[in-house]
Amino acid sequence: MTSIASPAAQHRVRRPIKLPSWPERLAWLVAIGGAAAGTIGVVWRFTSGHTAADYGSYVPWGLWVAAYIALVGASAGAFAFAALIFSARWRQHYRLAELALLVALGTFVAGMLSVWIDLGHPFRAWRLLTNSQAGSVMGLMTWFYLAYGVVLVIGLWETRRGPVPRFIERFAWLAVLFAVVFAGAEGSLFGVVGAQATWESGLTPVVFLIEGALFGVSLVAAAGALFKVLTSETAKLLGQALLGLLLALVVVEAAEIFTGLRAAVPAKRHVFEAILTGDYWWVFWVFHLALGVVVPAAILWHSRWRAPFVGAAGALVGTMALASKLNLVVPALAAHEDIEGLAEAFTGPGLVYDYMPSTMEWLVTVGAFALAGLLVLMGHTLLRRLEQSARPAPALTQEGV
Amino acid sequence: MTERASVENLLVLMQEDIRRALKNPDRRWGMVVDTRKCVGCHACTVSCIAENKLPPGVVYRPVVDQEIGTYPNVTRRFLPRPCLQCDEPPCVPVCPVGATYSRRDGIVAIDYDKCIGCRYCITACPYGARTFDAGRTYTEGTPEQQPYELLPAYEYGEERAREQDGDKSPVGNVRKCHFCLHRLEEGQLPACVTTCIGMANYFGDLNDPESLVSEMASKPNGVVLKEELGTKPKVTYLV
Repeated sequence: MTSIASPAAQHRVRRPIKLPSWPERLAWLVAIGGAAAGTIGVVWRFTSGHTAADYGSYVPWGLWVAAYIALVGASAGAFAFAALIFSARWRQHYRLAELALLVALGTFVAGMLSVWIDLGHPFRAWRLLTNSQAGSVMGLMTWFYLAYGVVLVIGLWETRRGPVPRFIERFAWLAVLFAVVFAGAEGSLFGVVGAQATWESGLTPVVFLIEGALFGVSLVAAAGALFKVLTSETAKLLGQALLGLLLALVVVEAAEIFTGLRAAVPAKRHVFEAILTGDYWWVFWVFHLALGVVVPAAILWHSRWRAPFVGAAGALVGTMALASKLNLVVPALAAHEDIEGLAEAFTGPGLVYDYMPSTMEWLVTVGAFALAGLLVLMGHTLLRRLEQSARPAPALTQEGV
Repeated sequence: MTERASVENLLVLMQEDIRRALKNPDRRWGMVVDTRKCVGCHACTVSCIAENKLPPGVVYRPVVDQEIGTYPNVTRRFLPRPCLQCDEPPCVPVCPVGATYSRRDGIVAIDYDKCIGCRYCITACPYGARTFDAGRTYTEGTPEQQPYELLPAYEYGEERAREQDGDKSPVGNVRKCHFCLHRLEEGQLPACVTTCIGMANYFGDLNDPESLVSEMASKPNGVVLKEELGTKPKVTYLV
């Protein structure tokens, strides 16, 4: 059997496109549905301003800020994971690293959308670059985001097809360092706010680092299982990383809660009491602890590092990230009056120490998460096609002719 | 109470202090609130709303009603809470675009054209003195928006009509008390000071030893809110 096709002819041959698996098709369906819901939310937001939102003057940040820090943290985590693989030159995991870069891009874009829409003047966002204040952590973060976005796009572009360039492997350690600083700075955004007793802590950036790594790796595991790119080796690597990071999170959270509950300052104690036993206790106990920590840890523990289980655990941890960040943002603002009696001093919309995201806020957040999913799905499909077109087609044989 | 103040009208006296202060480039505006004189009528809150055309959900000077003690030894204390115009304001360094800043005269101001509405400053203020203008109107949900809702406010000496998408509109901004800067620069007292029925407010230049406010601010019974934070508020309460 001899090959008779020329190299050019080999490229012209169209290979059949493999249909996605049913979980992948389901993911497309969910993502498209979520994006449609998000579109309604975005239109609602821009036609009604902020009047349809439940955040206001005493609880100025809510679901969108929580979604933003969860998504951007996950992005930094996924990016660091990819950079770590490239810098260690674990070539057998490069396919997973490429997927991690896609996850990083999807979550980053979705996180930016979430915070952009939260701005009182979204169309003045450009001022963050022209009037940036170096003394403000948020001002500093703008430049981090810009640099991060550029590095991310370069990384994806260079690894989109074929072998990973040497310079990526050589400088990936710098990217790991950058991701660590980036995630830590994200935590400092909250850590420097002295008015909020539970935010102002040296532990806050550390929690952000751990959570960022955890959420990033968990989403990479979920995406890896979905696209069936996890080998037994990569599934084990991800599963063990997830379990280790979950343990680290439990340790720092336990330290925070224990010291917070024992704090002599009521402002701090009230916040932790609200998280654990307040009206929204179920956010912590059900969504964060049970579904975001205990169940995934149990799945991983009994998974024998099989890819579908690692992926399922990752999906749970990744989606429950929002609960954890909601508990960071909202109770700190809502559980304690700045001055006792302020809530009753003058009443009006937005002048309350309570917060429950409105339908419009939920729709936008569903849309943001769906956008992240869609970008990963589209990116993966595109990469798969590029990969197929780059690979030489099987030679035609005389029989084939 | 000073000998001068007891015989002259306090408002006239403070008006003179302001006119004198306007000639001093190193003036530092400050306020003293005598809580023993405040009856909790909320006239200052309302006059502030009228002066600055504040929409629903935006308030610069609420009066906090605090109950102290337990029955039968109970008393009420009223605590008007404007922006405290801190010398070390936590809201200023967090602003990512430099829209909120300390003026030379000590007033913490907001550049409405620069503010992007991120609300970081609201989270940073330990006194809850900043509010977010979400774009609400009093006639929301009624068949027709009334023209008075769109009347311009003159905060910071600029005419700003209240339109949802207007360039000059304060909708979408963080807003706060600025000691009625637009009035001060015309030699007038802040609206809350002039409307106080109990004459509980003293206002003027803290750097002017002759001013009534600096005299009242140095009373031994003067306290500032959350002194332990080191924000150095320029609003003192006499208790």
